[in-house]
Amino acid sequence: MRFVLAAASLQRQGTRTLLAVLGVAISAALLLDMVMLSTGMRESFRSLLSRQGFDLRIAPRGTLPFDTDATIADASAIARTLKEHPEVDAVSPVFGASVHIARDDATIAATALGVDPAVQGDYELLEGTSLPDTMSLVASDAFLVATGARLGDTLRIAAGYDPQLRTWLGRRALVISGRARFIYLPAEQRAIALRLPVLQTMAGAPGTDRVNLFMVRLAPDADADAVQRWIEARSPRVTAVPTAVAIEQVDARLSYFRQLAYILGAVSLIVGFLLVTTLVTVSVNERVGEIAVMRAIGVSRVHIVQQIILEGLAISLAGTAIGLLLGLGTARWLNGILATFPGLPEPIDFFLFQPRAAWTALGMLVLIGIAAGIYPAWRSASLPIAATLREEAVG
Amino acid sequence: MALLFLALVLQVESAVPSDPSAVSISPTGTSALAPTRLTAAADSLRNIAIDERLAADALLRIGDLVVLSATPGGDGDTVRVAAITRGAADPAEVARADHRIRLHLDQLQTLAGYGDRVDRFAIATGEGAATDTALRTINDAAFGFRAHRSTDIAVESSRTFAVVDRFHRAIGIITIVASATFLLCILLLKVDERRRDVAALRLIGISRRTVVRAVVIEAALVAALGSVLGIGIGWAASAIVNWHYRGVYRTPLAFALVTPQVIVIAVSLSLALGVAAGWLAARRLVRAQPLALFGR
Repeated sequence: MRFVLAAASLQRQGTRTLLAVLGVAISAALLLDMVMLSTGMRESFRSLLSRQGFDLRIAPRGTLPFDTDATIADASAIARTLKEHPEVDAVSPVFGASVHIARDDATIAATALGVDPAVQGDYELLEGTSLPDTMSLVASDAFLVATGARLGDTLRIAAGYDPQLRTWLGRRALVISGRARFIYLPAEQRAIALRLPVLQTMAGAPGTDRVNLFMVRLAPDADADAVQRWIEARSPRVTAVPTAVAIEQVDARLSYFRQLAYILGAVSLIVGFLLVTTLVTVSVNERVGEIAVMRAIGVSRVHIVQQIILEGLAISLAGTAIGLLLGLGTARWLNGILATFPGLPEPIDFFLFQPRAAWTALGMLVLIGIAAGIYPAWRSASLPIAATLREEAVG
Repeated sequence: MALLFLALVLQVESAVPSDPSAVSISPTGTSALAPTRLTAAADSLRNIAIDERLAADALLRIGDLVVLSATPGGDGDTVRVAAITRGAADPAEVARADHRIRLHLDQLQTLAGYGDRVDRFAIATGEGAATDTALRTINDAAFGFRAHRSTDIAVESSRTFAVVDRFHRAIGIITIVASATFLLCILLLKVDERRRDVAALRLIGISRRTVVRAVVIEAALVAALGSVLGIGIGWAASAIVNWHYRGVYRTPLAFALVTPQVIVIAVSLSLALGVAAGWLAARRLVRAQPLALFGR
């Protein structure tokens, strides 16, 4: 009976109910988007950094990996030192440089990574083989499109250009042995990977036994913080960054988006609450006579309160259900906008649907819808029956 | 030849390997927090300028001596802090907590082992066609270089900000739709509450048209008052947002601005919705029988 009466009451004010449901739906959509934004970024970066199982990133002191052009000198010695630690399973050195490929009349620039193919964690091979020898390279799709090259083709690649002598520097003929997805680079970036000594030699003096970064994989139960302290004590010229710290640093840089998400999420909760409260209050005020009649014929106070709460709940549930769909759609749209950030790695999503966080937020909105109906419902059910009936009859 | 007459301006900071943090800076004193004071013997030292963020973080003041080196712990030059600078507000760099040092080009080239190299030249040209001529001349003559228009570089380097701007606009559209729905709902309820007044007006002979006008004017007034209040809240909120983020990012940038254009859009939207809601509700009320509105 309560359900029937609540439904009848909502149907009687169809336009009003529709608008309220729409309002709650938009609030729910915005809330869902903001929850996805606030939790998604962190989770997405965590997933990216943990993807290849490396627990520590070692960069030149005071810098973040590949945040500057600074390099680590005496890379071989540092690599040997790192491998001495019993909890270090693997050390992957990475050296980055710009390279140039002369094609017809144009010169194509690309990013090159010098890696050790046995332990590298910078790319996932999609086709072919991963750097079988010193004459090979692995390329991204964007690189292959830009150069028009295919697997097996030989390219003449230079690491620099001397404008005074008008000659290429560090030029080599390399064969494309594989096609790969570079994990930490944007999809549109033209990128190749070479064996580390090859790229270091091509780069000349700036690359001599230098790397930009070491990625370190630890034993399963290793204490990353303890290893970090050990590394920094042994090599004062480097900064070791555990994955958790790297996430925190990225988080700090993107704190603007997280705070925006919190503010807008809170605003959408307040708007949802105000909307349902206003609607239920006005609806109840219009029906005090009707409620007094129900009370006069013996309907209990609790029954009336339940019926009014059901009305708020119905609006909240309907709005939240529509808002869920709307929110997923708008999140996709907003994510598409932020995905165009220059230099953003391909697998990063700003809006990530995490069921637990999403259901908690939407559940809060529904609870707020219920709470919004309690006070007006109780107040109207508590009105003196005779006086209210007289007031309504006389006007 | 015209190229010879162009004023060439070297951007000293651009000769720094793309991030100045690649050049380490350490005070010559025993502690990084207790830099050495300028002494008479140090008069022959070269001067550097540091930004106020670095000055605050490293507790440096004008006259302090510091050692600059290209690698952490490596050999370097002792220099004197001669100036503390404040960079222009650059949205593209807002999230980067960079420290910037400006020093003489030759000194940085030596320090960084750059040789006789620079990253780029900034060239001042005359108005209009002079830029096109310079661009064409340089690109035709220089082999291995490429000249770009400053505006093109600005567009390219502000891509991050452009994305954030698009994101803000998208969020703005969503919030406008949400607030418009909310406003429409509230105003419909507000007008609906006046059913007894409308019934009374109709019973004493006031025409439907006059009633509709009165209700619409009332709704518009409510919307206008709400807009004024909203502008006040928006202004206070923008002040809080600017105060907060200027502190977080240590930048003079304005993060939220209540511009005349924003006010016009907000007030227009509010008034339009108010009038529309008032008209819709009033029309529905005047079509009903007055006694029905009384609940009889």
